[in-house]
Amino acid sequence: MTEVRRDIIIGLICLLVALLVPVVLGGRYIVTQATVFFVWAIVVVQWNLVLGIGGIFSLAQMALFATGAYATAMLGFYLKVPMLIAIPLGGLITVMASIVIGLACLRLRGPYVALLTLAIAQVMYVLIVNDTACFTNVSGCLPLFGGVRGIGQFGDLGLRALFPSKWYVAHYYVALALLAVALTFSIIVIRGPLGLAFKALRDSPGYALSRGISRFKYQLWIFGVSAFFTGIAGGFYAVHFRVVGPTVFSFSLLLSLIAMIVVGGMGSIWGPLLGAALLMLADEGMKEFSEYRNIGLGLLVTLFVIAWPRGLAGWFERLQTLK
Amino acid sequence: MDVIIQIIASGLTLGAMYAVATIGLSLVYGSLNMLNMAHGALLTLGGYICYATITHLGLHPALALIAAALVCAFAGLIIYVFATLPLLRAENFETNIFIATIGIGAIIENLMLKSFGPYPIPQPLGISGQVVIGNVHIPVQNILILVTALILMAAVAFLLQKTRAGRAIRATAMHREAGQLVGVRVGQVYAQVLALSGALAAVSGVMISSIATLTPVMGGDPMLKAFIVCVVAGLGNVYGAVVAAIALGVLEAATQYVFGVRWSFATLLLIVILVLIWRPYGLFGRQQVVRL
Repeated sequence: MTEVRRDIIIGLICLLVALLVPVVLGGRYIVTQATVFFVWAIVVVQWNLVLGIGGIFSLAQMALFATGAYATAMLGFYLKVPMLIAIPLGGLITVMASIVIGLACLRLRGPYVALLTLAIAQVMYVLIVNDTACFTNVSGCLPLFGGVRGIGQFGDLGLRALFPSKWYVAHYYVALALLAVALTFSIIVIRGPLGLAFKALRDSPGYALSRGISRFKYQLWIFGVSAFFTGIAGGFYAVHFRVVGPTVFSFSLLLSLIAMIVVGGMGSIWGPLLGAALLMLADEGMKEFSEYRNIGLGLLVTLFVIAWPRGLAGWFERLQTLK
Repeated sequence: MDVIIQIIASGLTLGAMYAVATIGLSLVYGSLNMLNMAHGALLTLGGYICYATITHLGLHPALALIAAALVCAFAGLIIYVFATLPLLRAENFETNIFIATIGIGAIIENLMLKSFGPYPIPQPLGISGQVVIGNVHIPVQNILILVTALILMAAVAFLLQKTRAGRAIRATAMHREAGQLVGVRVGQVYAQVLALSGALAAVSGVMISSIATLTPVMGGDPMLKAFIVCVVAGLGNVYGAVVAAIALGVLEAATQYVFGVRWSFATLLLIVILVLIWRPYGLFGRQQVVRL
């Protein structure tokens, strides 16, 4: 069985199961939680492209997610753009932001990139939270970026009006479709020329460089294209929760997304998705220990990096070679 | 004139605190190529240990400072034994240790949160009183911080330049294999560097919390600034880091005065990005030749 065929089969099985979830399980809680899972899965899958395939130490991924979410919300709130147009526009704005960040950071070496991207995310957070000057007074004082409270009332996809009692199921399918597209896109990137370029740069940097494969150029490409779906996920997040606030910059969110990638397996196709699913389930299962959540996540990340740096995906590969 | 004295006074205090926080980071990166993301958590740990030993054990403040430094040095050793050592044997050390220390930092910070609660606590180690220069009142606390920082920096410089252990550290930073060939025990050097960096983190944590307050997340901001200082100076360059720390401290005080507190971090970052576009390896960094 070729690898591409394996990917298609796994993808179709997952899709089929996911399509049946609302029909079979149907409970509102499960469906809503699964929708949130899809959003984080999109972010994690795109982050994996940057971190695992491109080898870019980017911690700006949550800042890009926030860019998409804020852009969508602000387009809707200030310019009354309908959400169906605002979300893709938010994705494009995120791509532009990522190219600016990439041009500033990607000429540097690994650890410098990590520090600068983290600092950029922190600056965005500080500027948004400390903004108290009123920008509009339409419905009470609101700073340009919404300040601490965030931005709300920017409209939604219209699915709440269309299916008044079942809108959450509709959102579930929208999120699932977005994840399916984002995942297909990431597989194409990994198996396509971009992925091959990075494979060449990993296997034999000297030969790859002398054949004219520029690391900076391809890193900028992968950073830019992966920002699109990160931004779209942000836009959908905004629409789904009807509000965007500075909580999207929180450290514990960043930590849990890193944990998903590390547990699943950095650089593999299905690992991050598996990691995201497992950690979301673990979160649900251990609700009563939620005050120890971050300690657990920290332990998990440390343990996996030290003992199984290739994550669960590495386990499966070892199983296959044993056969 | 008073404004300038004020800016220089608070800038030097800020710069001295950043410098102490930065030296540890820079030493660790210079000798191990390890970006320690748990450094901020070690700052916090130091601050809380100092607080706990003074209020709960009734220790003298100077002893409490030493206790904090010892505990954090021990924490640094633990990081070495359980994270750095196993990861050094595997490939992709730089990426993996970076992620592992993010995890370790989260564990320490949340342990602090569980044991001391989320609310700010004042650091009992402090001196009241002021010195007046012109029309400017400078708290004695700031002067104490400046003096402590200078003593620490002199001690670290002495250690690096004049002692046998310091020579081993510098040798490892210059060239690991060559150091090993002439008989430097690299593992021992790594352990020493991480312990030293932990102790320095503790002292700077106590300093920072004595001006602000103790909170479980207090380490994040100084760590990010220490990283920025490292990046501007060139990662791993200890003496450049001290100069850059003091320069950035004065710059931060100046931007806070001119543009307001809100923009100080953003201005700092903008300057850093400009510096890095101009010199991608930092102001004092050397371009590394990578062998393929």
